Amino acid sequence: MDMKNAENANYTQKDHEINITKIEGVEILPSKKAMEKYEWTQEYFKGEPKEGYFIWIKEQIDFPVTTCMSIASKSVSQNLQNLIIIEKGLKVKLQGMCNSIKKDLCGGHTASGKIILKENAVLEYNHFHTWGKEDIVNTDYEFILEKNSKLIYNYKIHSTPKKMKLNAEIICLENSSAKIKIIGDCENTDLEINDNITLKGKNSSGILKLRLVGKENAKILSRSRITTEAECKGHLDCQGLPIHKTAEMILIPELVCKDNQSQITHEASIGKISEEELNYLKTRGLNESEAIELIVNGFLED
Amino acid sequence: MVLEIRDLKVKSGEKDILKGINLKINQGETHALFGPNASGKSTLVQTLAGNPRYEVTGGKILFNGVDITKLPTEERIKMGLAITWQNPPTIKGVKLSKLLDKISKRDLKPEELEVNSGILNRNINQNFSGGEKKISELLQVISLNPKLVIFDEIDSGLDIKKLEKVSKIIKKELIDKNVSVLVITHNGEILNFLKPKIINVLVDGKIICEETDYGKVLKTIKEYGYEKCRKCELHAERP
Repeated sequence: MDMKNAENANYTQKDHEINITKIEGVEILPSKKAMEKYEWTQEYFKGEPKEGYFIWIKEQIDFPVTTCMSIASKSVSQNLQNLIIIEKGLKVKLQGMCNSIKKDLCGGHTASGKIILKENAVLEYNHFHTWGKEDIVNTDYEFILEKNSKLIYNYKIHSTPKKMKLNAEIICLENSSAKIKIIGDCENTDLEINDNITLKGKNSSGILKLRLVGKENAKILSRSRITTEAECKGHLDCQGLPIHKTAEMILIPELVCKDNQSQITHEASIGKISEEELNYLKTRGLNESEAIELIVNGFLED
Repeated sequence: MVLEIRDLKVKSGEKDILKGINLKINQGETHALFGPNASGKSTLVQTLAGNPRYEVTGGKILFNGVDITKLPTEERIKMGLAITWQNPPTIKGVKLSKLLDKISKRDLKPEELEVNSGILNRNINQNFSGGEKKISELLQVISLNPKLVIFDEIDSGLDIKKLEKVSKIIKKELIDKNVSVLVITHNGEILNFLKPKIINVLVDGKIICEETDYGKVLKTIKEYGYEKCRKCELHAERP
């Protein structure tokens, strides 16, 4: 999502200023108002939300619902609680953008949220993060996938803040499936990722893919776990590509089996750029930095 | 003259591999280079490409009269040198079309070359068949609009139909357009399609034979092996 689209988002928050565009069949409210209007939302919020959005998709829509949370002023601290509900049988696309408009705003962005896919719902959610080098970011999301629902979640960190913590918990009930991909282009950052898929329901499935590039002064700690609690299938795929000598990476893949009819597999690797690939691209006329850029972008997209 | 190699000596690690190579290729000429395993063919290709793993210990490489012996790879390619790889690596997540868009110096429509454009939307060399790899290499070098192309075993692993197809493309897109070509080959079948002007035989790091009649050289190698070439008995009376 580019900035032009971001300005036209259905829910925008610039520092603390909110703008909402109405969509037929979708209820969009600030979380605080949603809690006042719908008592049942209390079970999803942790106390009274200060900021954040409530998006309730009730009818089929043919375009993506978009959100944009920006830090635009110095030392702003956002504290968001978000709740997204996709009603039964709907196929929906969501695009979320979280960013700092400038590189040196020293902003804070704390976001927690729940995303609930009701039975047979399908959600494709692309979530983009572009931060300034002095920002501090904490995000904590929980996805609940009800029976037969399907989630495709792409979380892309285009530029990392000074410090970032990402927690993601995905709970899959019967026959639901989750495909999660977390991509990080990491530089001058201290990044911690904790992502868990829990396959609770029979015939549920989960794939968790991590692609992390470590550039200058990137310190990355990532714990990824798949837990099976029923007859189901999971796969974990963690790959790290350190391209600078100061990059440090710890990838910890964990497989937890609580049902002997389940199957979990994993692949994990951390490795430098292949010299052969570099030489190959140079024989196509690319210089070293162009070749590295192409390989890194390919790695992140794979 | 497009390429002139003068007394080129190359080592890899501690081992001397090329021991004084001399080769001249004029604009528009097609040459072939034969040689047994470990004769130095791939070393020659990688040295011409500027691969830093190979150390030039003597001699010169001139490209269009310019000494490129110490130039980095990408500079050589920009000057018009192009090279296909015998075993090209996989580049994960990078579609062939993306690379072609990035490097292309001419408007190349794969369908005009009668090649399956399906490979364009796949990651470079990932799960490509042997034939698809060769087509991918061909598309890349043609798109560079080169002055000289070095084909490193472009014919290996191809059946006769695919070999004919690859040869037709090389002829139509390069040879007929006055591009110089150096074909490095093991079995020589491709030469029946490309009809090189000069055939060179590389043995033990040296070119020991330079002939114009490729049929004669092929026949000699097939019948008597490279031992005959070592003794340079091509013109001698057969036993």
